[in-house]
Amino acid sequence: MRHPAEGVLRRLLDEPAGVADGDRDHVAVCEECLRRLVAVRQDADLVHAALATEPDADVDLAAAWQRLSSASASGRVRAAALPHAGRVRTALRRPVVAGVAVAAVLVGAGTAAANDWLQIFRTERIAPVSLSTADLNALPDLRAYGEVVVTGDPDVHPVPDAATAVAESGLDVPEVTSLPRGVSGEPTYQVGDEVSLTFTFSAARAARAAAEAGEALPPPPAGVDGSRVRLVAGPGVAGIWSRPAGVPDLVVGRAVAPRAFSSSGVPFETLRDYLLSLPALPENVAAQLRTFNADGSTLPLPVPADHVTTSSAQVDGVRATVLATRDRSLAAVVWVKDGLVTVVAGSLDADEVLSVARGLR
Amino acid sequence: MDLIRRRGAAAAVLAGPGAVAGAVEGRAEMKELTRVSGSVRGAVRADLDEVFRRDYQLVVGVAARVLGSRHQAEDVAQDVFLAFGRSSVPAGEARGWLSVAAAHTALNLLRSGRRRASREENVATADDAVVSDVAEAVVMLEERRRVRAALARLPRKQAVALVLRHSGLSYVEVAAALDLSPGSVGTTVRRAESALRKELNRHASSS
Repeated sequence: MRHPAEGVLRRLLDEPAGVADGDRDHVAVCEECLRRLVAVRQDADLVHAALATEPDADVDLAAAWQRLSSASASGRVRAAALPHAGRVRTALRRPVVAGVAVAAVLVGAGTAAANDWLQIFRTERIAPVSLSTADLNALPDLRAYGEVVVTGDPDVHPVPDAATAVAESGLDVPEVTSLPRGVSGEPTYQVGDEVSLTFTFSAARAARAAAEAGEALPPPPAGVDGSRVRLVAGPGVAGIWSRPAGVPDLVVGRAVAPRAFSSSGVPFETLRDYLLSLPALPENVAAQLRTFNADGSTLPLPVPADHVTTSSAQVDGVRATVLATRDRSLAAVVWVKDGLVTVVAGSLDADEVLSVARGLR
Repeated sequence: MDLIRRRGAAAAVLAGPGAVAGAVEGRAEMKELTRVSGSVRGAVRADLDEVFRRDYQLVVGVAARVLGSRHQAEDVAQDVFLAFGRSSVPAGEARGWLSVAAAHTALNLLRSGRRRASREENVATADDAVVSDVAEAVVMLEERRRVRAALARLPRKQAVALVLRHSGLSYVEVAAALDLSPGSVGTTVRRAESALRKELNRHASSS
C-alpha cells in the first residue's frame, strides 16, 4: 500500500477518527510513516507554541459585551473581513492620477535622509490647484521622467456591506445621517487597498522626453539622478448610492491620506525645484505648486478650472475644499482630518454635499 | 453635461483621495456595483448576545494567534461581532464565520498596520509585570515579531486554516468555514506549518 499523504498524517495527530482505517493501520506498522509522523508532529508543536498567546482565561466578557453594546447603539458600523467575490480592478489612470502624483512628489518638503526613507509629508490639508483641461492633459506622465513602480494594488472592489468594508480597510465608513432629496436606497460599498508609488528620477529618460518635446533638459543638480520618492495612499472605503442606470448619485469615501517618503542624497527642495523647472510642466501649474508652503503637509488637488469652481468651507472643524462643476451637475467636498481624507461627491449642488458632509457620523 | 464628461469630472474630484478614486469610474464597474446588495442597516440580530457569550473567547483567541497581542485581538473581536450583529449569517454557521472574519481582519491588520502593531506590542509588553527581565522581554518581542512576519508571508488561505486549526476548530469546521474538503484541511495546515517552521528556522539560524 502506498504511504498516506502528509495531510493525512497531520490529521492523524489531531483527529485519528477522521482518518481512513486503512491509512491508520498502515501508519501503525510502517517505519517510514512513523518517522514522517514524528516530523509532522514536531512542526505542529513548534507552530502551536509559536502562535500561543497569553492564557485564554482572562477575558472580561462582561466588559467586552458592554463595549459592543455601546458601539452598536451608537450606530457605528465596524467589522469583519470576509472573503469577497467578483473583484474589480481599476488601474491607475492618467492623466489625473499621474498629475496628482507629480504634484505630490513636487510639494513634499523637508530634507531627505541620506540612506533611509524619510517621511516628507503627511497630508493635513488639501488645496485645489487650478488647471485648464489643456493643462491637465499637459501634466507630464511621471514615466517620462523616470521609473515608476506601483507597489501594492489599489484593487478597488465591491464588498457586500459596510461592515466588511470597515474590516477590510480598517477605516470607519462615514455614516450618512440624512440623504439629500432625490437620493434614496441603500449604498453599495467599495474598498481599495493601500497603494504606493515609487518614483526614481532618471536624467536620461527626462532628457529623452524633453528632446521629444523639442526642448533641452536643464542639467540636473548633483544627486538628483536616481533619487527616489515614494508616495503611499490608502486604504480607502466608499459608500455609493446609484440609480439603476449606474450613475452615482452620491459617493461618500474615506481614505488614509497620502504620505510621501524620500530616499535620496539630495535635499528634497533640490529635487522639487528641479522638477518644477522641467519644460513639460505648464508654467502656471509650476507657479502654483511653488506657492505651497514648505512643510509639505498640503496636498495639491488638480482641478480643471474651466469646468469646476472651488471654494472653502468648514466641515468637522477643519477647512474643506468645495468643488462644483460650472454646470452645477456635480459637486464635491474634500477635507483632511487626523490623517484621513474624506470626500462627499454627487450629482448634487454644493449646499447639498456640504449638508451631507456636515451630517456624517 | 453628458455622462462621460460627468464621470471624468468625478474622477478628477476624487483623484486626491487616492484609493477611493476608482470608485466611480467605468460603466462595467457600475453594473458590478448595482448587483451587490448593500442592505446592512437595520436592527441588530436577536441572537447576538447568545452567540457573543458562546464565541467571544474563540474569536479573541483566533485574532490573538495572528497578532500576538491580546489587546489588539479584543479590538478585532469587537469589530467582528459588530459586523456579525448586522449580518444575516445563519446561526449554524456563526462559529466558522466569526473565526474566518477574525482571522482575516487580524491578518489585514498585520499587513496594513504592522508599524502600529509593533508599537502597541512594545507598550503591551512593557506593561506586562510577568516579564520583569528586560533581556527576556527583548527576546520575547523579537520572537513574536518573527512569528507574525512569517505568518503574514503565508498564502492567505493557509494562514487562516492554520490559525483556525490551532484555535481549536475541528477539521470539518475549518473545511466548512473555508470552503475546503475536510481531506484537504490536513494538507493545507501541514503546508502552512512546514513553511512557518522553515521561516522560523531560517531566521533563528541567521540571527
